[in-house]
Amino acid sequence: MGPLSFSSVLLVIAALQGPGTRLTYRIRVIEPASVTPRVLASGAVSGPLDSDMRLTLRTDTAAVEALFQVTAFGDTVTLGGDFLTRRLVGRSRRGLPLWEEDTYRRQVRMTWSDTARIYPFGTGKGGQGGSPRAGMPWVELILEREFAGGEARPAEAFDLVDSTRDVRLEAVVRPRRARVILNLVRGDTVSAPRGIDLVPDEPPRLIQLVLKGRATTLVVSLTRPDPARSTRDRALAHDADIVCLRVAQPAVLEPLGTICGRLNNIARQLPLPTGDTLAATFAWPGPR
Amino acid sequence: MADSTHEQWLAQIDAELDGELSLVERAALAKHLATCGHCAGARASHLEVRVALARSAGNPHAFVVPRPTIRAGTLALWVVVALATGLVGGWFASHRWGGPGGGSTLEETRGTIVVQ
Repeated sequence: MGPLSFSSVLLVIAALQGPGTRLTYRIRVIEPASVTPRVLASGAVSGPLDSDMRLTLRTDTAAVEALFQVTAFGDTVTLGGDFLTRRLVGRSRRGLPLWEEDTYRRQVRMTWSDTARIYPFGTGKGGQGGSPRAGMPWVELILEREFAGGEARPAEAFDLVDSTRDVRLEAVVRPRRARVILNLVRGDTVSAPRGIDLVPDEPPRLIQLVLKGRATTLVVSLTRPDPARSTRDRALAHDADIVCLRVAQPAVLEPLGTICGRLNNIARQLPLPTGDTLAATFAWPGPR
Repeated sequence: MADSTHEQWLAQIDAELDGELSLVERAALAKHLATCGHCAGARASHLEVRVALARSAGNPHAFVVPRPTIRAGTLALWVVVALATGLVGGWFASHRWGGPGGGSTLEETRGTIVVQ
């Protein structure tokens, strides 16, 4: 590794660990019209600098799902996109629709002030880099960065002008830490909630929960889930915000169980040998 | 044959009785005979002469207009040629343009990112 590439790595690491730099993908979905192009939807997703954006566009004859990632490098940024496309290509002899599936990757380099035009359904004949396929929408994307202290959770704002269109926009953020709230439940009695911030793959921590005067000590640690089995889920990072809580008893190697879930404030339960039930709720941590 | 003269129609009648007219020409002549009494009479006279000649030559049957014939072997050959041509053409068209997903090339249907 030469001195230039080493300094490049340092710059990227410094940017990723910078003082709360936040990335925003600002998009507009535009459809060609007879007079002027029409905006079908507009929105923005934001998150830490390593946030991705998942975009879904569906028509009667095609569906495009894409995951966009950004690699910042000084004043320039590399925008990459993994596309999964399904196209209706005809009908079978029994009259059922036939779809073809296509997976590919696109990448461009741009500056922060540039606007990228994404033609998700292709550019058609002779339209190399110029115009979309006839009648098909396109997407205008602007990348912005700003300094925002310690806020790690993603944010989404989306305005669907034409509700008959199937357009979706999601932020994809891999949490670096998670807020886990634990309760012990037995019948209609619930222990006091115990909230802890956990970092994936860090050493286990001891926690104590008290229910009806009886203390229960557990060893908990946060892990990432196993990689998704399907190519589609891996490419679109559907499991990006899933974390798993491994629960064990002190001095016992075999875990009592593992609870996996998204950071969406939904309680998930794990029965314990004592007859109690452990309820774990995963949430995005507060700003640091 | 709308501008044909009467002599030309008579020649056509002779040719018809000799079996030298094509199907189209015979149809045109029949159409003309239906409207031209003079020609219809001339045709009847020609037929009578031919029948008389045939009988005097010992042929008891009236004159029969010979019709063009297609030999079975020739017909079978052309049927085989037509079927083979259709099969080869169909195979080539299916190979070149057939199957689902035809039309534009794959790259034309794939997404593109352009920086403005």
